[in-house]
Amino acid sequence: MSANTIISVEHLTKKYNLNKSAQTENDLLIKSLFHSFKKITQKKSTEEFLALNDISFTIQQGDRVGIIGRNGAGKSTLLKILSRITPPSSGRVQIDGRVTSLLEVGTGFHGDLSGRENIYLNGSILGMSKQEINKKFDEIVAFAEVEKFLDTPVKRYSSGMYVRLAFSVAAHLESDILIVDEVLAVGDAAFQNKCLGKMEEANHNSGKTILFVSHNMGQVSALCNKGILLNKGQVEMNGPLPEIITHYFNNGASENVTCFKYESKPESEYCIRQVRLLNHQLQECKNFAHDETISIEIEVEQHVKLNDVLLGIRFCDMYDKRIFTSNIALTDKFEKNGTSKFKITIPHTTLTPNTYNFSIGIHIPNIQLIDEKNNVGTFQIYDNGSEFYKYSDVDNGVVFVNCKWEMTN
Amino acid sequence: MSKDRIVIDSQLSSTFSLKEVLRYKDLLYNLARRDFLVRYKQAIMGITWALVKPSINILVFGYIASKLLAVDSADAYLNVSVGMIIWQLFASVFTEVSNSIVGNANLFSKVYFPKIIIPLSSILVCLLDFLISCIIIIVLLIISDKSLHWELIFAPVFIALTIINGLGIGLFFATLFVKYRDVRYIVPVIIQFGMYASPVIVSAGYYLTRLNTINPDLSYLFHLNPMVGALEGFRYSLFGSSHPFDWTGFSISVASSLVFLIVGIKYFYRFERNFVDYI
Repeated sequence: MSANTIISVEHLTKKYNLNKSAQTENDLLIKSLFHSFKKITQKKSTEEFLALNDISFTIQQGDRVGIIGRNGAGKSTLLKILSRITPPSSGRVQIDGRVTSLLEVGTGFHGDLSGRENIYLNGSILGMSKQEINKKFDEIVAFAEVEKFLDTPVKRYSSGMYVRLAFSVAAHLESDILIVDEVLAVGDAAFQNKCLGKMEEANHNSGKTILFVSHNMGQVSALCNKGILLNKGQVEMNGPLPEIITHYFNNGASENVTCFKYESKPESEYCIRQVRLLNHQLQECKNFAHDETISIEIEVEQHVKLNDVLLGIRFCDMYDKRIFTSNIALTDKFEKNGTSKFKITIPHTTLTPNTYNFSIGIHIPNIQLIDEKNNVGTFQIYDNGSEFYKYSDVDNGVVFVNCKWEMTN
Repeated sequence: MSKDRIVIDSQLSSTFSLKEVLRYKDLLYNLARRDFLVRYKQAIMGITWALVKPSINILVFGYIASKLLAVDSADAYLNVSVGMIIWQLFASVFTEVSNSIVGNANLFSKVYFPKIIIPLSSILVCLLDFLISCIIIIVLLIISDKSLHWELIFAPVFIALTIINGLGIGLFFATLFVKYRDVRYIVPVIIQFGMYASPVIVSAGYYLTRLNTINPDLSYLFHLNPMVGALEGFRYSLFGSSHPFDWTGFSISVASSLVFLIVGIKYFYRFERNFVDYI
């Protein structure tokens, strides 16, 4: 264990007994009534579920670690064990520092209590002392932007205010390690960014170690520099985040869809039948190097010919911010009713490394929307050595622009 | 860096630690404050409700006792009120502690803190209600023109003993409640039955004379009830030497209280770490 190691996890296993066998374990409660406090030998149960299966890793001080994996991979169980909410079945964890876990926003908030009372209640649940809360009180209120409503019961708050206040308390905790579980999913995008900013700031200023679970790869990559990829209760990969994210997307089974098929809709004049994501060799793919061209092939079916019909595609970032849109006129392309394929190619070095999604529509501008597929799919662009590679932590925007630089004196 | 070292190990078992409780004393206070504030929010009569329930009980049972024992009615009412208010303290501590863990599952399933804080904080609210209902005793003492004795200084001891009884048994049932929701229905039954098995409406002497005529050994069984010591002791501290006091019986009862407390705490900590998985 090196000097900078702040969390070390050794052979951690968490076992859950399912259904019938769970009953036998629960009966321990009753049995121990009669066997008083003798060690009760556990019955061997056949139906066991290993939420975590013998995992080991270490985390260094100041790391911002994104824990990623599919549903059921064991992410939440791991966070629960690290936050001491549930004990492991076997194995050991050593943590050198004060831990704050934020597995839920506003734990213990009571609707009948005022904002002020809830700050004290929630703060003390999270482990803050009264003096600490007093010291941070104004800052918490200012961050949450609820000054006017401090003495209003929180049940009368809008959901946005509620979440802001709740997160604000947690954001002002003084601890060495912050554990956050997808809680940011609730706020609006602006507040989410403010929270991410606050966490980054804490990390920069005081070297706080952050463990962050989210399904939103954009958020994970915005905040984290390292990653741990869990799969079926085991550590599949552990290392720098970009590699982990690439690996995650390349090896996923269910989410790794590069071909989207749709039913024919004879009642509409045009419909989208199939969409495929292709790389420069025209192989299906959803992870692209930043200097690779991205092609999207769209199969359109025409039932009735209309005038002025456009096929459009729109690209968005992970926050659903629109980046650009591109259209092609369809009307003259079909010689007769039936299906045709269209391919759009995005030039290489256009989008910066990140996750993007796209939507496709067939429409007559300002008149009629004929068919539409929103958020068809996502694709990732990974960095294999762009000019931004050195500062992978920094947000460099969404597009590369080949600007002209010159010295003018 | 090793100022806060946390070791999580499957082998470690948790035990009561006063140091940890003190570290979370603000949480203890804030949870109690929450329970108290929420209790009478949006109630016009507010805290005066804390007087209504014991008053009604005292009126009903005081009337029964004065008819049953054919004693001076002021004395009967005073005797019943003392018994009733102490019993009410026990009953509310027992109920609140039993319900506290399941009722606050949303807290400890999301944030770590020593779970014993929850039942301990629920006691504070019960204690406050008790102090308010003591007004009834004071009023009755003034009406019946009784003088107080030096034995009053023991009163806090017997109040503490009552709380210990409620806590010990309550922790046991709080642990069972995590898995078995039957507890919700069992606890009121125990409290109701217990009230008749304890010297609440009448003093212990009334029970003992009747038990002795059946079988003298039954009086030991009677004293195994931990609330006998607390109830008789509290009466002794208020009425002084005018109230007959059985030291042997009292000792048995206190010993039983301590056994209940130890068993309750042990049982609680045996499963404390796994509450989240059982609940």
